[in-house]
Amino acid sequence: MEKILEVRELSKQYSKVLAADKVSFDIGKGEIFALIGPNGAGKTTTIRMISTLLTPTSGDAVVAGHSVVNAPDKVRQCITYLPDEAGAYKTMTGMAYLKFMAGLFTSDKTTADSYVKRACEICGLGDRLRDKIGSYSRGMIRKLLLARAVMPRPKLAILDEPTSGLDVLNAIEIRKMIKSLAREEGTSFLLSSHNMLEIEFVSDRVGIISNGHLMVTGETAELKQRYSAANLEEVFERVVLENEVH
Amino acid sequence: MKFINLLKKELSELINKQMILGLAVTMIILMFVGNMMESTIGEAVSESYSINICDRDDTELTHTLLNELEASGASVKLCQAEGDDYSAILEENDIPSLVIIPEGFSDTLLTGGTSGQLISISAMDSAATMSNISNDNSGALALIEDRLTNILAIEAGISENQLALMDNPLVISEQTVVADNSAAISIDDVMNDVMMQNMILPIVVFVLIMMTSQMLISTISNEKIDKTLETLLSAPVSRTAVIAAKMLAAAAVALINAAVYMFGFSFFVSGATDSVTEEMNATAAGQFISVDAALEQLGLTLGAVDYIFIGLQLFLTIMICLSVSLILGAMANDIKSSQNMTMPILMLAMVPYLISMLADINSLPMIFRVIVYAIPFTHTFSAMSNLMFGNTAVFFGGLAYQAVVFLLCMFFALKLFKSDKIFTISLNFGQKARFKRNTK
Ligand SMILES: Nc1ncnc2c1ncn2[C@@H]1O[C@H](COP(=O)(O)OP(=O)(O)O)[C@@H](O)[C@H]1O
Ligand SMILES: [Mg+2]
Repeated sequence: MEKILEVRELSKQYSKVLAADKVSFDIGKGEIFALIGPNGAGKTTTIRMISTLLTPTSGDAVVAGHSVVNAPDKVRQCITYLPDEAGAYKTMTGMAYLKFMAGLFTSDKTTADSYVKRACEICGLGDRLRDKIGSYSRGMIRKLLLARAVMPRPKLAILDEPTSGLDVLNAIEIRKMIKSLAREEGTSFLLSSHNMLEIEFVSDRVGIISNGHLMVTGETAELKQRYSAANLEEVFERVVLENEVH
Repeated sequence: MKFINLLKKELSELINKQMILGLAVTMIILMFVGNMMESTIGEAVSESYSINICDRDDTELTHTLLNELEASGASVKLCQAEGDDYSAILEENDIPSLVIIPEGFSDTLLTGGTSGQLISISAMDSAATMSNISNDNSGALALIEDRLTNILAIEAGISENQLALMDNPLVISEQTVVADNSAAISIDDVMNDVMMQNMILPIVVFVLIMMTSQMLISTISNEKIDKTLETLLSAPVSRTAVIAAKMLAAAAVALINAAVYMFGFSFFVSGATDSVTEEMNATAAGQFISVDAALEQLGLTLGAVDYIFIGLQLFLTIMICLSVSLILGAMANDIKSSQNMTMPILMLAMVPYLISMLADINSLPMIFRVIVYAIPFTHTFSAMSNLMFGNTAVFFGGLAYQAVVFLLCMFFALKLFKSDKIFTISLNFGQKARFKRNTK
């Protein structure tokens, strides 16, 4: 399978914390990969390095053939990033926001229009797009931002905790959107979540991260079998225990 | 009791380390300014008790007068002065003011029966209000008049009561000196006009500085708080473009505001100066020339080139303000800290604004001068005065200094935005705060 992302021993040392310690994994084309782990495990740190926002202390990540260390500008042309708990410009209307963001990804007017049109369809906000973002609910903002993240057909869409803080119905909707985009358009996704039960429903493969270590990666079914667990939460528990023993 | 509980919580939210630090800094700055004012004004006041006199008449009457002056506690300094190049006279004697008793003064007074004429010369070296106090001869002239009246009265055997009815024995011909020029006008009239002219620009600049920084800091910190900055910086746009757009927008909006203020204020001030000058022309009937003509003669009018230089200075000021705000905005991680971030700018603008209005910075003691001129905005506030009074070296030095400060700040701002510091700086603060809370 064609590799969209190759992460090679990526590490990040903050002044006191080693937040990511030699993290390595791959994502193929059209694949949905989820980093799962508790709060403070290093998911956001890893994701921000891949998004070119943080400079790795060591290691590298290659997105569609471009290194985040050597060619971050090229990487930015292949990715979109949705930060966790992200907001949008409150005084803009949803429509204006989409137009503004489309203008960052292309200078061509017709291409930009096609991006906006696509985003309007994906987000499903209809007429509410003409209202100010300040009046949106959390779920609406997340849908708008997700539509924004996928509208320019990035090779890799990076979504940090895309469903956190949402109610069940909104979370399900977001997960469905991600899944259908991957299946129908072949977009690759890098997600993160601290909710290990939920992530089963959306991801093809997961990586379990704790204290900056990516301890195991694999398909959900395979992992459950390997650790004879009923769900990913149990897998996580056993992986952590096993690592403590050794 | 519930109220006390609520009050406690509100107070603990309002009183924090930042506030206490802010108060301490304000206190120190005010004490510094106060100290400086005290030393300059003290100097000015002590100088006003000394009278510089050139006695060209050299008669018995003038000798008596000089003795009387000394007897009344004034320290009289006798100067030699030839001709009527008043600027040269002040310079030769190294004094800021001089009263000349012209030849024939005693004759006119004693035999001619008309008022004697004195020449009062005052040098003006800045537009600041306090700086010219010592150069004003009014105290000296009042004393001279008082003593002279007494002498004349005694000589003629006139009683105090009769004396009160007598006409003014003196006519003062006033001369104001600025650098190499002098004009037959009183220093007070020049001061009034120059002060009015110098009033608008600093106010507008102050507003401009505060608004520009406030805007830029809040847009950056808002983007950080909403995490739209992360989205923006992970998109395929150059970070320089992101920063440039922010700076340009803030500067443009601030300039529009400044233009409106400037327009409004110029109405206000021109109204005020017109009425003041009219009144002055009416009272100073003995004056030989109009205020405008005098300003022209003294070289206190600014030409087109001067305005270009002031414009350049304003531009640099705004650029410094923008680059410093970029850095401050990057450090803010919540709304409250973003508000606090304007404090440094407020201080940097307020101190020079106050000082340049009151004192002539060029005549401050060395340490104060260095400290005050190290604040980049000082050069903006003293720009007009420096150009008017021909302190070109100070002006251009300031311009160069501002350019260096701007380049330095911009360098750091770009470094911040082009590296991952823009994201780790604030988080580090948050991290520390959380860490401290945990260890308590
Ligand atoms: N800017 C920073 N400076 C210092 N430490 C940080 C910073 N950002 C995150 N950390 C620390 O790094 C670790 C990993 O954080 P993060 O990547 O945000 O975890 P996650 O997203 O999995 O919850 C945590 O211990 C966190 O406190
Ligand atoms: Mg996170």
